[in-house]
Amino acid sequence: MTEQIFDVHFLLETFPKIMPYYPITMAIVGVALVFGLLIGFFCALIRIYHVRILTTIVNIYISIVRGTPLLIQLYLFYYGIPISLRLLNAKFQTNFNIDGVSPLWCVLISYSLNEGAYQTETIRGAIESVDQGEVEAAYSIGLTGAQTLRRIIIPEAVKIAIPNLGNNLLKLFKNTSLAFTVSVVDIMAEGKLIGSEGYRYFEVYIALAVIYWVSCFVISKVVDVIELRVNVAGKRIAR
Amino acid sequence: MLELKHIQKAFGDKHVLKDVSLTVKKGQVVVILGPSGSGKTTLLRTINFLDGADSGEIVLDQDHYDVTRIAKRDVLAIRKRTAFVFQRYNLFQNKTALENVIEGLVTARKVPKVEAITRGKAALAKVGLADRVDFYPSQLSGGQQQRVGIARAIVIKPDVILFDEPTSALDPELIDDVLDVMRDLVDDEMTMVVVTHEMSFARDVASQVVFMAEGNVVEKGTPAQIFEHPQEARTKQFLARILRD
Ligand SMILES: Nc1ncnc2c1ncn2[C@@H]1O[C@H](COP(=O)(O)OP(=O)(O)OP(=O)(O)O)[C@@H](O)[C@H]1O
Ligand SMILES: [Mg+2]
Repeated sequence: MTEQIFDVHFLLETFPKIMPYYPITMAIVGVALVFGLLIGFFCALIRIYHVRILTTIVNIYISIVRGTPLLIQLYLFYYGIPISLRLLNAKFQTNFNIDGVSPLWCVLISYSLNEGAYQTETIRGAIESVDQGEVEAAYSIGLTGAQTLRRIIIPEAVKIAIPNLGNNLLKLFKNTSLAFTVSVVDIMAEGKLIGSEGYRYFEVYIALAVIYWVSCFVISKVVDVIELRVNVAGKRIAR
Repeated sequence: MLELKHIQKAFGDKHVLKDVSLTVKKGQVVVILGPSGSGKTTLLRTINFLDGADSGEIVLDQDHYDVTRIAKRDVLAIRKRTAFVFQRYNLFQNKTALENVIEGLVTARKVPKVEAITRGKAALAKVGLADRVDFYPSQLSGGQQQRVGIARAIVIKPDVILFDEPTSALDPELIDDVLDVMRDLVDDEMTMVVVTHEMSFARDVASQVVFMAEGNVVEKGTPAQIFEHPQEARTKQFLARILRD
């Protein structure tokens, strides 16, 4: 049998081989999204309310994350965490297990921190663009600062932030394809493995492209639906 | 009822309120007049602590508050006893007319939802919007939005309502709807401080007219005194200009 130039069969067989690793990709996205939003929310509040020393720390954090490539952040955690633990062990006679730090942990931590920095900017922007008049109206009828935040500012800010949060999520999803560099086996890593075994890289990358594309398509549709819902709630057609 | 003593306020080095004192008795309507930039809005905002004054004293019934060292708790207490009607309505865009009105009851005063809804609907009926309860601000005209703003203020049964040019953002044909609602409140003996350029309203309902210029109270008196026999040159000038328009 002569060598095929393009092996459709191989391409189709690649999907079922890659998909078992999809949950790893989803786990990275899920964890980074949740922690990124939490980090982003608190850092945004710190920046908005100018909590003295914390504001400086947050500013430095964001500038580092935005000013360095994700790939380098990933390597810094991958190599940095074991070295830090060894230093701690040497200095304080502690007994942290260095081999216990799995690459997946490094990925989850670095992606969460990376996501947190971008979410901070998005959330801060959204909160700051809430109409100041509504905030004053809330104060004028006796709401406390916390009540105003919860009842007026956050619902408005969520509405404003949704499109940008959606874009951040798409970027995050695609960025997971770097996790293989620190030997986490997600769909990308498994794809590369399959490709090298069969010398069929092109077919594998097509399969990967399809998987990323379909996933991002679904995510963006879901975001659209949420956006629509939220906006309709603000403009429900009255009877 | 409400007394302001020697209120001063500066933004940076700009002295917006130089030394303003004012007494509003229960059930009175005090109308504040004055040229643009004279500090009328700022004065109202310092009463409600949307802007904190730099010095002076605010007396509400028996309670004296020194603005320079007022506690957060007291600011909240004052805000709960006063209400503000904004020039640009400032309704909560995410909420229906009813939700706008009951927010101050349910969230700030922990009034049970059912009671709040009853009171909210009554307040909206009072301003002539019984049939607009479930409308969002974007579905209401300016005049209707401002009346929701007034309903939001009266529903909390404040000691005093502060109005900052409530009709100046409205189309002329919508102004009377709002003024009628306000006259209605006057008949109920609501205590009100009103910044406005509606001279006939001032003439008809004011217990006291206060003329401000450049951060000072220049002259105050009954509508008859101010409109028929103004003493100060600046009052005369201002009235001549505004009544000519
Ligand atoms: N937040 C602020 N920061 C700086 N300056 C301010 C601020 N608010 C008001 N001012 C200034 O204070 C002065 C008084 O403003 P204010 O809004 O109280 O006037 P006003 O009498 O209500 O005028 P108008 O009739 O135009 O509404 C103006 O010169 C204004 O520019
Ligand atoms: Mg003003």
